[in-house]
Amino acid sequence: MAAVVVERPPSANRWLAALPYVVLALGTLPIIVLYVWLFYSSFFPRVEGFRPVGDFTLDNWRFLWDPLSVPQMRNRPPIVPLTVNTFIFAAMTSAIGLLVSSMAGYAFSRLRFPGRRMFLGSVLLLHSFPSVTLLIALFVVLRALGLYDRLVGVILVQTAFALPFGIWIMKGFFDNIPWDLEMSALVDGAGRFRTWWRIMLPLVKPGLLALAVLLFVEGWNQFLLPFVFMPSGSQQTLSTLVKGILGEGRFVDYGLLTAVGLYYIAPVLVLFVLAQDQLMRIYAGGVKG
Amino acid sequence: MRVALERLTKRFGTVTAVQELDLEVRSGEFVALLGPSGCGKTTTLLMIAGIYRPTSGTIVFGDRRVDHLHPKDRGIGMVFQSYALYPHMTVSENIGFPLELQRAVPKADRESRVREAAAKVQVDELLDRRPGQLSGGQQQRVALARALVKRPDILLLDEPLSNLDARLRHDMRGEIKRLQKEVGITSIFVTHDQLEALTMADRVAVMRDGRLQAYATPTDLYAHPMNRFVAGFIGSPPMNFIPADLTARNGELVARAQDIELPLPPAQRPRGNAAGATVGVRPEHIALVGPGEGQAAGEVYIVEPVGREQIVDVQVGGRVIRVVAPPGYGGKIGDRVGLRFAPERLHLFDPQSGDRLA
Repeated sequence: MAAVVVERPPSANRWLAALPYVVLALGTLPIIVLYVWLFYSSFFPRVEGFRPVGDFTLDNWRFLWDPLSVPQMRNRPPIVPLTVNTFIFAAMTSAIGLLVSSMAGYAFSRLRFPGRRMFLGSVLLLHSFPSVTLLIALFVVLRALGLYDRLVGVILVQTAFALPFGIWIMKGFFDNIPWDLEMSALVDGAGRFRTWWRIMLPLVKPGLLALAVLLFVEGWNQFLLPFVFMPSGSQQTLSTLVKGILGEGRFVDYGLLTAVGLYYIAPVLVLFVLAQDQLMRIYAGGVKG
Repeated sequence: MRVALERLTKRFGTVTAVQELDLEVRSGEFVALLGPSGCGKTTTLLMIAGIYRPTSGTIVFGDRRVDHLHPKDRGIGMVFQSYALYPHMTVSENIGFPLELQRAVPKADRESRVREAAAKVQVDELLDRRPGQLSGGQQQRVALARALVKRPDILLLDEPLSNLDARLRHDMRGEIKRLQKEVGITSIFVTHDQLEALTMADRVAVMRDGRLQAYATPTDLYAHPMNRFVAGFIGSPPMNFIPADLTARNGELVARAQDIELPLPPAQRPRGNAAGATVGVRPEHIALVGPGEGQAAGEVYIVEPVGREQIVDVQVGGRVIRVVAPPGYGGKIGDRVGLRFAPERLHLFDPQSGDRLA
């Protein structure tokens, strides 16, 4: 589709057009400054305020190749398994969340089953429920199921918390697909499941991609659940490591903290850059063309 | 394959969309469901397709009752108003989709069947395109090919032409009709356009408010409309309706309405002893004659040339009567004219029920 080019008189309007950018730039500035600070302070021994002290060094990044020389890392699982754990955690919550959301979203969008409205309402309610208040109940449940202190348990809990959002998003995408397409598939000889798999899912692909990225990032960033439900080490994630460095003794090594922090957020940043277009669509909503 | 609907009813909540519909479509016949929007025609089609479940009544294909079967088990092909092509598949994948679901068709045969179906509607050059890259007419053809590829017993079409421009619509009208006869498939299509229904269908079922009003050949519907609704719905420009009293004079029955007096020939006399009737007469069955001639006098109200002919509204007393005049007619607004009604072309309807009296 061709873009519509609006001819504007030059001069005055140009300044007006720039205004939103100025406002946005001013608003983003503090965030950018902090990220820049985070970046360069990981390469200096010390930082006073915004001023680096000492010479450029890779010393803070030592935890990557020589973890044993870093005192804060000694009593912890090595960085590679931690990263793998975090990845498994994020990827699994994303995968399971995607599967369940796309099926439930389809059902909510297309099937008129008894209790549908109540389900939809309670899903929303769950979404606005602060997860902290459920911690104790979840603890009891996980213990009873033998899933306490295991990655699987936390994956299930995290997925459950992510589902309300995912279901509503997917329902929105399915709502935008014309009924005709589905009726047509049914007449062409497909059953419900095949219609969902061959016709509906490919048409909500933008939604699936966006949701996958969002759920992954949410899992990657999750701190509270792994921290509470996996206290004993081998299955911990990166966020608990960052917390550990922060909370170790009275002295906090900010150099190390910034380096680990950068290492921790790097994948998320890369993912966001790669998936920008998809993520925008979740808010724009729906299928094009 | 024969299709029979018996006392078919569909209710949505408290709304009755289709009420006690009886309809039989002969094998190989092309039938139109015609009616204004909201008359239940599409609901009927979707019940035949198996997408809606009837509230009551039966649907029979051949000798087999099918109203409990899923759409996929009914042996139907369907073309949707929006065409409903799968946007993420190529034309050949779209046409091949119904075959993909039939285990009886081996993979090797699929491609040739797709080509054959595409060739039948002349889209075999477009097989690698996606629906988004096709024009409306091409999408329509692809939808037809997809509906026919699995060689269904019955073809259903929902407003197949309504998304095309006027020119293309005319072409496709002929083409669908030719294709239907060529394949010899029992077909039912839904339309709100009487011209489509009359030109394409072998028989037309006129529906209103969920009920069947008439079911007859286009010629019959035009010549002997069964009630006032059908009379007014079929034909363009629409029929004139004149409320009249029936009186006997010199052994002759006359329909009188203010300034109009229409002697009724014996064949047009209503059964029974009606005192009043609504007289219907089509614009093409009234001739414009000089003032003082004919059965009514009036004044030209407006003249609309429509190419082949002219439509003239004539004011007679307090009402406007529409007349089709030949292309050479040179009347102007305000001219005094006479109207001559063709007596054998008058239709009489009951003023209350709208049923045909004669």
